[in-house]
Amino acid sequence: MDIKDVIQSAELPLMAPKMKLTLTVNGVLHRLEVAPVVRLLDILRENLGLTGTKMSCEIGRCGACAIHMNGQLVNSCLVMAYQANEASICTIEGLEENPIQKAFLEEGGFQCGYCTPGMIMAVKALLDTNPNPAKQQIQEALSGNLCRCTGYGGIFRAVEKAITSLQEKQVTNIEE
Amino acid sequence: MASQTNLSTMKRRIRPDGPEKVTGRMKYLTDLTFPNMLYGKVLRSMEPHAEILSISVKEAKKLPGVRAVLTYKDVPGLNGFGLIFPDQPVLCEDRVRYVGDALAAVAADTEEIAEQALRLIKVEYKKLPVLDSPEKALLPDAPLLHPGGNILHHPHFKKGDVETAFQACTIVVKETYEVPRQMHAYMETEGGVIVPEPDGKLTIYVGTQHGFKDRFQLARILDMPELDIRVVSSPMGGSFGGKDELNIQPYGALLALATNCPVKIHNSRQESVRAGLKRHPMKIIMKTGVDKEGNILAHKVKIIADTGAYATLGPAVLDFAVEHAPGPYIIPHLEIEGLSVFTNNGVAGEFRGFGGNQITFALEGQMDRLADQLKMNPLVFRLKNLRKTEDPGPLGQKIAPTNGALDVLQVIEHSHAEKAKGWKQDTSDKWKVRGTGIALTMHGGGLGIDRMDPAGGRLSFTKAGKIEAAFGFEECGQGLLGVIETLLIDEFSCAETDIKIVIGDTALVPVSGSSTASRSTSMVWHALQRMKGSFRKEVLELAQLLTGITADHLQMGPSGIWLKEEMTAEGPCITFKELAERMPSGRSINVHTSFNFPTSPDATVGGSHYLYAFAAVMARVEVDLLTGRVKVDAIDQAVAAGPVVSSLGYLGQIEGGGVMALGYTLMEEAIMENGIYMTDNFDTYFIPTICDVPCKTSVEAIEKLVDGDPFGPRGVGEIGTVAVAPAIVRAIFDATGCWVNKLPVSPEFLLKSNRLGEMRPWI
Repeated sequence: MDIKDVIQSAELPLMAPKMKLTLTVNGVLHRLEVAPVVRLLDILRENLGLTGTKMSCEIGRCGACAIHMNGQLVNSCLVMAYQANEASICTIEGLEENPIQKAFLEEGGFQCGYCTPGMIMAVKALLDTNPNPAKQQIQEALSGNLCRCTGYGGIFRAVEKAITSLQEKQVTNIEE
Repeated sequence: MASQTNLSTMKRRIRPDGPEKVTGRMKYLTDLTFPNMLYGKVLRSMEPHAEILSISVKEAKKLPGVRAVLTYKDVPGLNGFGLIFPDQPVLCEDRVRYVGDALAAVAADTEEIAEQALRLIKVEYKKLPVLDSPEKALLPDAPLLHPGGNILHHPHFKKGDVETAFQACTIVVKETYEVPRQMHAYMETEGGVIVPEPDGKLTIYVGTQHGFKDRFQLARILDMPELDIRVVSSPMGGSFGGKDELNIQPYGALLALATNCPVKIHNSRQESVRAGLKRHPMKIIMKTGVDKEGNILAHKVKIIADTGAYATLGPAVLDFAVEHAPGPYIIPHLEIEGLSVFTNNGVAGEFRGFGGNQITFALEGQMDRLADQLKMNPLVFRLKNLRKTEDPGPLGQKIAPTNGALDVLQVIEHSHAEKAKGWKQDTSDKWKVRGTGIALTMHGGGLGIDRMDPAGGRLSFTKAGKIEAAFGFEECGQGLLGVIETLLIDEFSCAETDIKIVIGDTALVPVSGSSTASRSTSMVWHALQRMKGSFRKEVLELAQLLTGITADHLQMGPSGIWLKEEMTAEGPCITFKELAERMPSGRSINVHTSFNFPTSPDATVGGSHYLYAFAAVMARVEVDLLTGRVKVDAIDQAVAAGPVVSSLGYLGQIEGGGVMALGYTLMEEAIMENGIYMTDNFDTYFIPTICDVPCKTSVEAIEKLVDGDPFGPRGVGEIGTVAVAPAIVRAIFDATGCWVNKLPVSPEFLLKSNRLGEMRPWI
């Protein structure tokens, strides 16, 4: 069931008391007043205008709204405001140009692009913790991100290319 | 993922829309906001079939923050929509026919208030019997869903005499195939913003596959001149046919006009499932007979399609299935009957493959069963009955000569020889069995004969010195922008930065027809062939005027006009920018073209095609004998669709189409019980994840066309989805000895089959 349905079936008054929410998004500190059960997804898209994070299933099954919260990959449709208080959030807009995005461009890791921000956040979360994942680890890490266009072929190739370029980059850095 | 493809050796170009997509900067139409914007919501029917006794919106209107509540009384023009017949009420007045039917639309200051308002609208229904299957809808005492009855469309085709021919057959196979209601499952649900302009006009920022058609339909509903409506229809987060019909546009438009504020509607996934189109569930009965040498003599087909509550493109989908029932095989005696039936189920309509996927599953199933009974190699059996270059099309119409059927089959024959070998033996797990299968299809492009199928385009040289290409097509994700850019660079040798592409905005683009039916790439190419000569001539004449060098010595190149002899020079002799700045006032360069999609000169059956693409598929599967689960290990596709324009786009269409079809074969079904969707989100409606897809894919593009073919690249948007299901199902038979007639393949069915585990020789 959609979280919104749960919230609404509880018949909360529309003008629920608001909480003071402090969170850092892409390095910028925000102080907001929102209802405690507002979804982080809506805070990002509506309050902060960060529409790179997408809404698709709203029940945590598709990964289109995936972001990093305190360094962890989460579906922002399943995080409520009170759970995000004091958190540090990174969205697709917060990524510096990186080899993952370049690889997605070069290998056709996207078509319509709607799953892409979430997909790239998931790939980043994987490669940040495991720079040389096996195929099965890639599959596990991306199994929560649905793509209807590519059939995942281009995504696989993009991830493999990103791994290679990140390794090359590291070698270069060490040599330097 | 290991991928073999001849496409990877071709030149690759990064899509023009790529950088914005991978950085999240791309504004989809559901990402837009405007000052004073309100949020719209639509009340959908609680009942799959009922009379409406009353609708009370009094309480909803009183809720603070509600700005408009509209019902059927508030539709100024035609209260109906539908691409062919406007039989679907925008807002229902006296009857609902499915759970997606709309009863009221609300605009409010916030989405929450709008949702709360929907709950305050009181609708009294009087339940009517629910016709939840075509069989029920065809009963003599079934209530009539529409004034014309419960049959939407009933085409027939007959050639020769099947009954007599069956008597001459040594083997006759008769089977019933059933295929499910598949959901498009585009990641971006329907939505956008509708903005009233200060001059009384309206701008519709909502994704669709044919902006001009939306404009036409909306003008009829709103009782407004078409020219007062502007439809901005790109980009979209996927469509696959599902956003071809109107969805939320009428509600957003009515609310925007009523409130004089911009109104945003973005469907939740549940609303999208409930109101959106699906692929037609079909029951297909096929009887096919061969002589003892394996020549097909007769083929009798009956197709029953559940078209749901309203027409949309139901008739055309069925016509397509009828046309493709004989496929690429030469069959002397044919009898094909189609029946598209209204029910109280979800509306079925346009979906990538357009009836071809359903009929090909049945046809290829017949081919495999016949080959098995003949004890012939299924490849040899297909080759024996295959169409040749100059043969007519499936319904006897003249088609553009093509050897595609043989070309793709030969490539897949190699693929099979290479990949089937050892596959069956290589497993050490005694509870797993393996198999391979192949299948073949041909697929018509364009809307077909006797359908309005206009195309066109415009090339302009802008004041900023850009080559501007304008087309009335949409970018749904398929890669059309990349196609247009590639073709322009191929034609004019210019740089990416010299190009400006304008699509998906009725205020700025010429009529080009719909972004459907695998037609856009093909029509962009045709339009450029028609325009390129005059455009180049006018640009070079301008350069001659400004440089004094005769046009004969000039050519277009990166950033400007170059001396033909000095293409190695450091720069052009005049840049496009200078050319534009120094263009004499009053002079402009604009080249237009309009034409129709090519059709057969002698086709008699409405909707039948002239240009076809071909695909053959090899699938390799492993079946778990303990669970009945099927794992697809490899899908190879060979595609003959003329020259490849964009290698990454082509590969993506075929791979992505293949996986969408894998879902259709093994897991996807939008289940309805008594007219209610049981699978209303991705927790119950499963589409393939990255764990479900084959590790080894191969896509081979066969680019060659017959000598002198003037039609260029055919589109590949659909062909990759069509022949995958029968190849997987044949591979399951190869592995288990079980023939599957019903999709999605049920593990329970396999487990219950007493033939499970019986090894079959491939022959």
